[in-house]
Amino acid sequence: MRRKEFLQKAGLSIAGGVTLPYILPSGRLFARGGVPKAEHVVLVMFAGGVRQQESISQRYLEDSQGVSGAAGNVMFNLFDGPAPTKKIVYGTDPSGGGTAGSVPIPQLLNTTLESQGTVFREVAAQSAGHYTGQTVLVTGNRSTAQGLKVRPSFPTIFEYLRRHAGFSAADCWMISSSLTNSYNLLNSSDHPDYGLQYGANMFVPGIVFGSYGREILGNSKTYSQEELDPMYFMKNFLDKSFGLGQDKVNTITNTDADKTRIKEFIKYIYAKQKAGQIASPPVGSGDAFNISYGAEVLKYFKPKILTVNLTGVDTCHSNFTGYLRNLHRADHATGWLWNYIQTQIPEMANNTIMLVAPECGRNLNPNPILDQNDWYAFDHSDRNAQRVWSMMVGKNVPRGLSVGNEANPVGRLTDIVPTIADIFGVWDDVKNAGLVDPMGKSMFDQV
Amino acid sequence: MRNFNKIVIVGLVLLAMSCKKEKFSEFGVDEQLIQDEKTSKIKNKSEAEYISILYTNLYQKPISPNQLFKTQNVLVSIGDRNVANEMLLSNYFNTGLVQIPSNTDMRSNIDSFVENSYKKFFLRYPSEAEKLFFKNYIGNNAKVSVEMVFTAMSVSNEYQYY
Repeated sequence: MRRKEFLQKAGLSIAGGVTLPYILPSGRLFARGGVPKAEHVVLVMFAGGVRQQESISQRYLEDSQGVSGAAGNVMFNLFDGPAPTKKIVYGTDPSGGGTAGSVPIPQLLNTTLESQGTVFREVAAQSAGHYTGQTVLVTGNRSTAQGLKVRPSFPTIFEYLRRHAGFSAADCWMISSSLTNSYNLLNSSDHPDYGLQYGANMFVPGIVFGSYGREILGNSKTYSQEELDPMYFMKNFLDKSFGLGQDKVNTITNTDADKTRIKEFIKYIYAKQKAGQIASPPVGSGDAFNISYGAEVLKYFKPKILTVNLTGVDTCHSNFTGYLRNLHRADHATGWLWNYIQTQIPEMANNTIMLVAPECGRNLNPNPILDQNDWYAFDHSDRNAQRVWSMMVGKNVPRGLSVGNEANPVGRLTDIVPTIADIFGVWDDVKNAGLVDPMGKSMFDQV
Repeated sequence: MRNFNKIVIVGLVLLAMSCKKEKFSEFGVDEQLIQDEKTSKIKNKSEAEYISILYTNLYQKPISPNQLFKTQNVLVSIGDRNVANEMLLSNYFNTGLVQIPSNTDMRSNIDSFVENSYKKFFLRYPSEAEKLFFKNYIGNNAKVSVEMVFTAMSVSNEYQYY
């Protein structure tokens, strides 16, 4: 080959490699070059039903129980604002006796997430229920006809990202609080154009890493690659022979290598548990437990996206004091998670955006149930239960910005999916699929 | 008399042309079921069905309700069902209590092992192509064990259906 010819061909090859599009799992061509706003996203579904009054409005016992002079902030890590000074019951129990819950958990973050990021102070929730509300958070669809015990009808953010951004299953994780309320089904929809083939990995930590999991899986063998290869080879032959159609797929699918990593992770966690080395917030709770396993997944897999749901505050149906305690602990656990990402996972520090939003609020008026402090409990079914807030913090997020207020609501919970899609540069693809709330917008477009 | 002769002749001719004894021809071909039995499996086993059938296949006894409940909960708490099933299986094999043929038995008669394994896990006979695949693969790979074959079959898509 002559020198001139060689240079021409080499030049064309390099130019082609840089500019030509590549094929995504969706089968379409997607031009390379869209710069993501961040490499990782963590969505904390601050769920369980959080009243505006005790959270962002910082009214503590004033609005809910009519205790005058008892306003104040119990979410030290998320929001700016002074703590209540009267009737403190949301903290930890003092050693050596005293009023239960009278010792607030010290603030973990030096700067609140509100100051570090952007808060939407008055956001419209599309549902007053837990599962539909969480379905809204992961699908970006109003999900008005969503039933229980079935997967979402509309694609989840995981499926959008896997199909349009080319993420692998191991890039997408969901940590589910329990098997109740169908939460474990939120890792994929049953939409015919998306579905399980694009679903996310999922753990219910309380079971997989609880006594059941240790009993059922704890004694499993660790096969070498030499042993695994023939097993997968024979399985692949059998699967090809059976010829299962995509519409019959009954599980999400990882590559053989990622399956091995997940199995190793489960055994690694069992070993860490035995050694008492699971990373966790200083003050424990059910939500803290879930968050701590979310943190372990983040550290091990460094996924592109992880969602984790909290549920502790739902005790408010019958115990207002417990609700305040769990609200305070959910704040503590969320602050701890952000701090953990920044300090313990170098690959994700300064390269992650965390979104936090409740799935629904709670009622304006109480039900008749009184707790140990003679305080009324609250359900979630009225207009007030559709008032929530949302926030984002991290790379490329405006700092210290407050958007909207009670008189001027800005944003909807169906904005969460557009925002995540926007962060990863695939919002146009998601929008064009036509399956999200037409009123949903990226939060970045509303600041 | 002439008419009588004619009638007799016509009668004989008609008799000669009437029904003959049918010849029975046999070609030495056995009757074969031509339906592909795989295609009749269209229903996905539930977790409970999968676990209880698997347990019975491997231990030759039914799983207890308590154990079934726990196992079922664990399997649905992991997003990738294949990961969960593979770990469950390796846990079973690690107990040393599963009732499986020895590797020596398998290698002494691979045809029979393959046929019995297909009947055990898939409730059908293997096709000729399937028999050939396993015969060659097991025969040519000394490291392939009964445990590996059973694991592959237990986590295969076909085993998830009935």
